[in-house]
Amino acid sequence: MTAQADLIRHLARFAGALRQRGVGVTLSDEADGLAALTLIDLGDRDEVRRALRTALKIRQRDAAVFDELFDLLWRARHESSNPPVPAPGLPAPARPKSGKLPGRRATESEVETAVALGEEPGYSPEAVLRRKSFEEYSTADQAAMERLLARMVLRLATRPSRRRVPVRGRGEADLRRSFRRAVAHGGEFLSLARRARPIEKPRLVVLCDTSGSMDPHTRFLLTFVLALRRVTRSERSSEIFAFNTTLVRLTPWLRPGQVDRTLERLAHQVPGWSGGTKIGECLAEFVAYYLDELVHGQTIVIILSDGLDRGDVAPLGRAMRAIRARARRVLWLNPLAGDSRYEPTARAMAAALPYVDRLLPAHNLESLERLLPLLAA
Amino acid sequence: MRPEIAALQEAMERQGYIADPAIATALFLAREMRRPLLIEGDAGVGKTEIAKVLARLLDTELIRLQCYEGLDVSTALYEWNYQRQMLRVRMAEDEGKTAGEIEDLIFGRSYLLERPLLRAITRAEGPPVLLVDEIDRADDGFEAFLLEVLSDFQVTIPELGTIRADHVPYVVLTSNRTREIGDALRRRCLYLYIEHPSLEKEVRILRARVPGASARLAEEIGRFMQALRRRRLSKAPGVAETIDWAQALCHLHSEHLDRETVAETLGCILKDQHDLRELGAGELEAVLAEAAG
Repeated sequence: MTAQADLIRHLARFAGALRQRGVGVTLSDEADGLAALTLIDLGDRDEVRRALRTALKIRQRDAAVFDELFDLLWRARHESSNPPVPAPGLPAPARPKSGKLPGRRATESEVETAVALGEEPGYSPEAVLRRKSFEEYSTADQAAMERLLARMVLRLATRPSRRRVPVRGRGEADLRRSFRRAVAHGGEFLSLARRARPIEKPRLVVLCDTSGSMDPHTRFLLTFVLALRRVTRSERSSEIFAFNTTLVRLTPWLRPGQVDRTLERLAHQVPGWSGGTKIGECLAEFVAYYLDELVHGQTIVIILSDGLDRGDVAPLGRAMRAIRARARRVLWLNPLAGDSRYEPTARAMAAALPYVDRLLPAHNLESLERLLPLLAA
Repeated sequence: MRPEIAALQEAMERQGYIADPAIATALFLAREMRRPLLIEGDAGVGKTEIAKVLARLLDTELIRLQCYEGLDVSTALYEWNYQRQMLRVRMAEDEGKTAGEIEDLIFGRSYLLERPLLRAITRAEGPPVLLVDEIDRADDGFEAFLLEVLSDFQVTIPELGTIRADHVPYVVLTSNRTREIGDALRRRCLYLYIEHPSLEKEVRILRARVPGASARLAEEIGRFMQALRRRRLSKAPGVAETIDWAQALCHLHSEHLDRETVAETLGCILKDQHDLRELGAGELEAVLAEAAG
């Protein structure tokens, strides 16, 4: 095998391993990587590392994974100059074997409840659905909920953009286009072209607690978030993260209208799904790697968590302060807050509270509906 | 290390820019592969400076496009000089010219106001360095437009036709990461992330940029900054702040960092109310002790 072909093979495997770990590397990046490798000293390990990081466009937050895999690549490359070992290569990411699917407990009693509720006199099924706690949902309810949510979310209020686009009748004069038009009439301004600011949908960043104590709620909150995302439409207008003991950016994995499949994949991909929580550490990680890029003046940050965390609360307070300083609004949805006796006394919740604009219940659809006006400008 | 990269690193140093191997390698690759270089990193780590140094090294013009929210094509690319055009139209009417003649007159290159992008493409004397500064401040729409320009290095002006670049410019984009840069643009570029400098590098930068500071003071400042960045600050000070501070200390004729001098000049490096408050309360001495030890 020639050195060139060997290089391509290793690079392709390296890129594949990066992709498996959630680092976006495309074929064109691989081509860039190869081009870069032809320009440098291939014997210099650090130079190869630096060149690949530049050519594959590895962000700071992916640097640790990159370095780890690079070390493996380097070793594999030097070992495989000997007879080809059957794919010594790079290991698949560690993933928990037992991916428990949250909220998937459609038992007989639930189905019965649904039937019974449908027959209840004087109530529209929808009205019942709105007040029903997520813990009591059946599969049929869920489909109804998804439709209802989609309608609710459509009413999301909006704000004007800063960019100006051509409009008719209203807005300020647009000299450039006006003059273009006037040319057609020998330099006479028969009409003025105008421009105005189009309406912009809000940007959302959702941080969703997927620890065991949130289990019954996770599925519904994610459905809600997916519906929001579908309505806001633009890929880049909403970002979703899951956290428990680590923080995972879900955005690349989400597909609207496929909550089940999404959740199933999540259960496999997110380490420690349904485990314990380290809210403070996870939010600190969010602040370190994502805050600057994803949160700014128009962003509404929504945190879905019950605030039950036994860790140190100091990092949580710091992280919340940083988020509060940048975001337009910080909302905390807590399923426990639906209980009228609830007091935000859990230590983590109390530490976060000074930096939260609104603490809202999130145990049924009605509570989510009340959230919608807050997502407006 | 490839000798060309080492040479580039040295050349940058001669221009007053202390580059580590990562920066030199990225710049070398961008130059050889003729690809735009996207540079990210915290404020004040020397992103913009790279483009300036590159222009000096290549002995060419630096054309800068500062991005901001709402930046549009007429500010970035070109604009017709409407006032001149209108005056010319009136004159041409008096001269009894036909509509077609007038149009030919007023849509000539002399009525075109070249903005940075167009200037970078049309520069006749050889490729310039085009610096697109703080691309994260522009919006998605502009980013898409920029992508088109950077792919083809040609621009179509309806009245004039397509203008192709005589010389493909060297392009440097910087981002403070206040917004995620779109994947398409990122893929078009090569990428460099600049971290805060190591102690050794920071001291060398200080020696190069603030010759008035003694070796001892530079070392002390460097240590203090390193200790400071280990704290949880909402805005970690960059090298730009270090240089400002060193200059301020030189003006104050300080030969040595003590508690009072630092407390008085802390505003040079910490520019956040909360950070200043945090560091006031006894913390300052802890940082000084850490820097000394």
